[in-house]
Amino acid sequence: MKFNNKLILLVIILVPSFYKAQGFQVNLQGQKQQAMGGAGTALIMDGAALFYNPGGACFLNKNEINIGVTPVFAKSAFLDANTNKTAETKSPVGTPFAAYGVFGLKDSSSLKFGLAVYTPFGSTVQWEDNWMGRFALTRLELKVFFFQPTISYKINSKLGIGAGFVYSYGKVNLQKDIPLIDNNGNYGHATLEGKASGLGFNAGIYFAPTKKLTIGLTYRSQVNMKVRDGTATFKVPASLSENFPNGKFTSKLPLPQVATLGFGFKATNKLDLALDINFVGWKVYDTLAFDYENNTSSLLDTKSARNYKNTFAFRCGANYKITKNFNACLGMAYGITPVQNGYVTPETPDANRINYTAGLGYFFGKQFRVDASVLFTALKRKDTNIETNLSGTYKTNVIAPGIAALYIF
Amino acid sequence: MKRKTNSFLPITFLIPLTIGIMIGCKPKFDIPTPDNGSVDASRYVAIGSYITAGYADGALYYEAQSVSFANLLAEQFKLIDGGNFNIPFVPQNSNGVSVIAGNTISINAKSTLVNKTDCKGITALGPLKLNPTENYGFFSANIYNSSAPFNNLGIPNTKIFHVAFKGYGDVANNPSGNFNPFYQRIASNFATSSILSDAVNQNPTFFSLLIGSEDVMGFALSGGISDTITPLSRFNNHVDTIINNLTKNGAKGVVGNIPDISSLPYFTTIPYNGLTIDQAQADQLNSLYTPLGINITFTVGSNPFVIIDTAANFFGFRQMSENEYILLNVPLDSVKCYSYGSLIPMPNKYVLTANEISLVQTAIANYNGKLSAAAQLKNLAFVDVNSFYKQIKTGMVYNGISLNAQFVKGGVFSLDGLQLNPVGQALLTNEFIKSINFMYGSTIPQVDVTKYKGISFP
Repeated sequence: MKFNNKLILLVIILVPSFYKAQGFQVNLQGQKQQAMGGAGTALIMDGAALFYNPGGACFLNKNEINIGVTPVFAKSAFLDANTNKTAETKSPVGTPFAAYGVFGLKDSSSLKFGLAVYTPFGSTVQWEDNWMGRFALTRLELKVFFFQPTISYKINSKLGIGAGFVYSYGKVNLQKDIPLIDNNGNYGHATLEGKASGLGFNAGIYFAPTKKLTIGLTYRSQVNMKVRDGTATFKVPASLSENFPNGKFTSKLPLPQVATLGFGFKATNKLDLALDINFVGWKVYDTLAFDYENNTSSLLDTKSARNYKNTFAFRCGANYKITKNFNACLGMAYGITPVQNGYVTPETPDANRINYTAGLGYFFGKQFRVDASVLFTALKRKDTNIETNLSGTYKTNVIAPGIAALYIF
Repeated sequence: MKRKTNSFLPITFLIPLTIGIMIGCKPKFDIPTPDNGSVDASRYVAIGSYITAGYADGALYYEAQSVSFANLLAEQFKLIDGGNFNIPFVPQNSNGVSVIAGNTISINAKSTLVNKTDCKGITALGPLKLNPTENYGFFSANIYNSSAPFNNLGIPNTKIFHVAFKGYGDVANNPSGNFNPFYQRIASNFATSSILSDAVNQNPTFFSLLIGSEDVMGFALSGGISDTITPLSRFNNHVDTIINNLTKNGAKGVVGNIPDISSLPYFTTIPYNGLTIDQAQADQLNSLYTPLGINITFTVGSNPFVIIDTAANFFGFRQMSENEYILLNVPLDSVKCYSYGSLIPMPNKYVLTANEISLVQTAIANYNGKLSAAAQLKNLAFVDVNSFYKQIKTGMVYNGISLNAQFVKGGVFSLDGLQLNPVGQALLTNEFIKSINFMYGSTIPQVDVTKYKGISFP
């Protein structure tokens, strides 16, 4: 009971300064860090350092393989402000995963190599059939995979630097109904599907000025995901098929830059605290444009304003070592949405949010470890979209339990 | 071993915890209960013409009747304890019924959108009238039921002075223009009752009144060659009569004004300069018209149509000007292939000249002034239907659906180019609901327009 009280106290003290960047960012990386509110830039805990701070990976003493998955159960609902009618999503379970491998030629070597494969962005939103916003969106599926080979170098016992090259590969599938009906009462439907890729990097510095305090500074670059060869498919009444020719389209989706300043603090031998401050360059997502190869008077290129704004994000958490092999984590985060009023869409009915996180980890012997975490958050946002006039309140509840297996050798 | 088991136990706790939270994960809303304010919707009657009746695509038919704004409003009233709303439905499988002017033998049916090949062999989408499934006897079969009187008293083609006309259902009044077979069908007594008396006899607690368009439309739809525009003083008197009678027992209600004809695709679809010709055709027309010396010239591309206007000059024809309308019922094949509007001046009945438009628009503006003043005088809710139609003409977006007043494409008007399709009726219903809520402090929810259809395409 003693340690429980400590943890609760800790959380209460730290609540005011938790932030977390949102949009379609997933931010599920490393079970321990997830359990600590998503903070970890200045703590070298495991291979997830490849993501959180490549400059810190060189401080890992052993080789490590770390594979985790975090199923995301998200349910959104919409209350139409004009009609009092409601609709819900029936989105499938999201499965963000993260795998990290860190290797050195010797355990003591200053140079470490790593490979991280993870899904930093993406979600699938599927609204119920015939919902009142179906002409704005019925389904959005976005999957982005990052492949990040990384080098991390320990300059001295207090300072490490590291950088990773990012190759990004993604898939997008956007669907909506078209308000044209055939003689059987069927509405038209548009499906835009494409693959995208982009390049970027992830670099960081790790610094330990004292035995208790550590500082991390990282920069993850913007990645411009370009859809070059997308396929647009239209199902419309036969007499209008010439107006909606199936064909190619191009589009792009910028994934924002993220700069993070993190602090780690060894409060006691058993208690680690972490605080991360993110700057997320969401402003780059100003427009969602589709450029169709075959334009007609009915099928014009579209440019939808998104006008995201840059956001700051803070995350914080604590890790308590209960026994030599067993630890527990708690964390919280408060995030300001990048989506401005008038621009909330059913794709990402985003809002300011508080994340609650917790987790446990256990060493089975010296080489094998399991970490588990859970994240819960609830969102609420009322808006009238200036493009579609869809007006009402979105609510979203998210619960994301995750588990990771680590092999250390 | 003991230590390991104890320590691992909390991890297994996460699983049921997670499942538990997931079950409670579904977001919930506190949906407000609709408040009736000072509206008593227990006996609602609707007085009006085409729109109130639910007339669309050139006929009265079941599906269109069921989505008339009056019926949709009555459906929403049920959320605040509204009563039954009886509608004089035509049979569900009917192609619809419409009167052919002055004809007491045959009837018209609704139009549907089909691919049509014109005289030049070009295939395009256009409305086609279906064959009637009823004969004229349909109208004389009276369906009035004293135990369930009709709440929807929208009678297509009703002018304001017809509302209180006793015997409006009597064919004997046909020669004087005061007979309507749609009313004959539902009158409590075809020879002695009026629409108004049938309404008042139900002792309504609430009414809607949307009338006045037909007082100019007879004139406008004839191209200004027949029928007369109801004089303002007569219009005003009848507005007072109707509203005084409906409110005499304290009923509340909602009054709408009427749309200007510039908002209706029937008048705006065919451009005044829709005569598209090549150089050879222009030369030929110029060689014929130039010698007349009446300033009619043609160039390559689009040209104003030539129309009959006896006042224009000695020859009695001229080219149209930008602010004049060609009506949607002009035979397009005659225009495309048989020189209507070029070699053969367009007949008067298909054209509204600037003078005629001015007469119509002045009358509409005056009627609208009266309708709003009358509503205000009796503290009734008022719907600026005219502004609503103008908003549609400008273009609007509803839940991601782009809508405007274009014929067929615009998504709001039916295939007759005058009346609304179900989407338009649903939008109009919401205008009524907004006004009622504003005036009477009620919180009646609007209808979900996305549940209603536009025009069906083959």
